[in-house]
Amino acid sequence: MALEAYASRNPDTVHTDVLSEARQACYKARDAFYACLEKESNKAPTEIASVGLLYPSECKGSRAEFVKHCRASWVKHFDRQYCRNRRVQRLLDDKDSRRGV
Amino acid sequence: MATIISRNVNHLRYVNRCLSQFRRLPIRSPPLADTAPLRTLPILQSVVPLGFGIQSLAIYQRCLFGTSTASVNPENQAPNSSGEANSGNGKHSGGSHQSNESGKSVRGGPVSWLSFLLLIATGAGLIFYYDKQKKQHIEEITSASEAVKQGPSVGQAAIGGPFNLINHDGKHVTEKDLLGKWTLIYFGFTHCPDICPEELQKLVAAVDKIKEKAGIEIVPVFISVDPERDTVEQVGEYVKEFHPKLIGLTGTPDEIRSVARAYRVYYMKTAEEDSDYLVDHSIVMYLMGPDMKFVKFFGKNNDVDSLADGVIKEIKQYKK
Repeated sequence: MALEAYASRNPDTVHTDVLSEARQACYKARDAFYACLEKESNKAPTEIASVGLLYPSECKGSRAEFVKHCRASWVKHFDRQYCRNRRVQRLLDDKDSRRGV
Repeated sequence: MATIISRNVNHLRYVNRCLSQFRRLPIRSPPLADTAPLRTLPILQSVVPLGFGIQSLAIYQRCLFGTSTASVNPENQAPNSSGEANSGNGKHSGGSHQSNESGKSVRGGPVSWLSFLLLIATGAGLIFYYDKQKKQHIEEITSASEAVKQGPSVGQAAIGGPFNLINHDGKHVTEKDLLGKWTLIYFGFTHCPDICPEELQKLVAAVDKIKEKAGIEIVPVFISVDPERDTVEQVGEYVKEFHPKLIGLTGTPDEIRSVARAYRVYYMKTAEEDSDYLVDHSIVMYLMGPDMKFVKFFGKNNDVDSLADGVIKEIKQYKK
């Protein structure tokens, strides 16, 4: 009987922002923002994103888009992932430069 | 080589003593076997019970006692005195001691060539025998360890179990409803940013691929580990976008907890703001057989092709 009650609860609240369309929009905005970061990587990062990620003020626009299209927890998740990847990349690049013949 | 010979001489003397003891006093042999001589020679423990012919050793006895040297005699004294813990023994060793001395006076020479050759032969024989035993033992160990690695695992992994959940149409589904067909189960949640959609896409693509490659029907199943947000409607909308055949299951938090426990799936809410959180969970797909028994699991590292091939391989092996 508890199961039936659970099944009929909240028939209207379907979180559409996690369905396919919304996801695709989010991914696009996310990729745009990170591309901007890559492009402007030589500029000084002055703005704070989240979870310790900083970005230059040139990317403010794409950041706003990113935050608009994606859920907050997703934004944090993607930022964290980006930082992780950057760190790994830096390690790999450093190793190469040090190894130089 | 000289040390080996002298060691072998001692070995044989001890062996002869013990065997003669065995012959005279069969009942009391075990305690005798524990006295000083054999304690240092565990090798011979294995040799003696196997008994390579008490008669042949009797012949050796006579030959060896027939030829003795001054240097060997003191060594005889040593095992003699330790062996004399037994009264019934003293007589025989005294007798053989006598025959030693009588043998010495008869022959005169230190060691005859015949006894030397016999000694070498016995020594070599012992060495080869021991070596063979050791090699056999090592082979056994290596083959045993290899056998465990190569063969299929003993018994079955305790993954899987009964559950009572609701599918995305609102109907009750238990594990019995999934019997008779192969199923690929994935645990996730609808609010997953990127991993679950990716994995589910891989899952349904693999199911299609298996259908066209091998003609086998696999039922893809998605079980939510976020029952509080994943209602029936939510799950329904979610799975519809991936594949018409994809079954989405959800239920009460208790039911989900028991299913996750049965399938050994870890999941934990990352405590962020109240309604917007992510669920950390193990990323795994379970392949269950037609009897709903666990067959194989697939991790995140497989792509569509390796997933499809892995499943087909398991099905073919299972049928055998």
